[in-house]
Amino acid sequence: PKRYRHPELEERLSRRRMAQEARSLLRCRRAGIPAPVVYFVDYVNNSIFLEDIVDSITVQDHIYSVQKSGNDTSGLQELAEKMGELLARMHDEDIIHGDLTTANLLLRPPMEKLDLVLIDFGLSFISGLPEDKGVDLYVLEKAFISTHPDTEMMFQALLKTYAATSKKSGPVIKKLDEVRLRGRKRSMIG
Amino acid sequence: MERTQRLELFPDRSVTLLLFQHVKNAAALRKKAMEGSIDGALINPAMIVDPFQILVAANKAVHLQQIGKMKTRTLYAEIIFSLSPSNNISDAFKKFGISDSDTAVLIVLVVDGDKTVNLADIASQVEGQQVSLDELPQLTDIAKVKKMYKITPQEEKIGTLLDSVVCRMSTKDVL
Repeated sequence: PKRYRHPELEERLSRRRMAQEARSLLRCRRAGIPAPVVYFVDYVNNSIFLEDIVDSITVQDHIYSVQKSGNDTSGLQELAEKMGELLARMHDEDIIHGDLTTANLLLRPPMEKLDLVLIDFGLSFISGLPEDKGVDLYVLEKAFISTHPDTEMMFQALLKTYAATSKKSGPVIKKLDEVRLRGRKRSMIG
Repeated sequence: MERTQRLELFPDRSVTLLLFQHVKNAAALRKKAMEGSIDGALINPAMIVDPFQILVAANKAVHLQQIGKMKTRTLYAEIIFSLSPSNNISDAFKKFGISDSDTAVLIVLVVDGDKTVNLADIASQVEGQQVSLDELPQLTDIAKVKKMYKITPQEEKIGTLLDSVVCRMSTKDVL
């Protein structure tokens, strides 16, 4: 609960975010997209009680440890492909995650199975617009670049599988390219 | 034989489950429940996949009772309503409550902390055989549950039936 916000605004925002998260989680599960189960929605504190994905690690930590130990970059490529596939299926359900980072993707043991679980849907919303999906991917790309050096190949593999899996990927990738041109210190002469 | 568990989020309340088979007086029991002369929720065990499902319903009911936002009139009615994926109260009772022809009954009691539960009193009203909760899976009608909660085939791949059921119960009325 952010105390720097006006209380009424805080209440409404918390309520809305919680509702969006709960709805997105249900929507994911119905579509067979791995996300935590919702056990209880607390309307008083605007909080939800979720399944604990036991013994999982974030993809972020996994990439760190693989890169640190030096070997197995082929495993990371396969992981990237799985991520691309998962995100394509999510976007095909018109679910925009809103905060895609490698810390919001969990890996269930055993790690070799590449059993991914998406978490933290607090900023998610429903949209069919390629722009929203493109931005979703862009956020992930930026997170990748800033958190994990030398992972351009990984993200490329991710996008490739995304494009191959998603039925609506064409316009999304196009928008992604457009959004990339928008960033800081970038020329938008088009 | 029966099972009692405290609610994690409301530690001053405990939930007790009693399961009965070969029940002969379901009609009379249902009438008593409607009148309010039985102090418990009478549930059709065919719709229950696991005791956890009951705990989730009880937890939600207690929460709503505490904030004065129950949709039904009593805690026990609210538990039955919370089990249902629909927002229609009478439909919930029809599908999750007991019907006159039922031969198995699951009774749920919620008590304050240390108050002792008078199990013998409740059990004596049932003309049937009390059995262990371990028998519950045999009484579950999986096909009926899947249909009731509209479980999708993709969903079955990423979790258990209980997962799907609980998810729908908890998010049914999120605005």
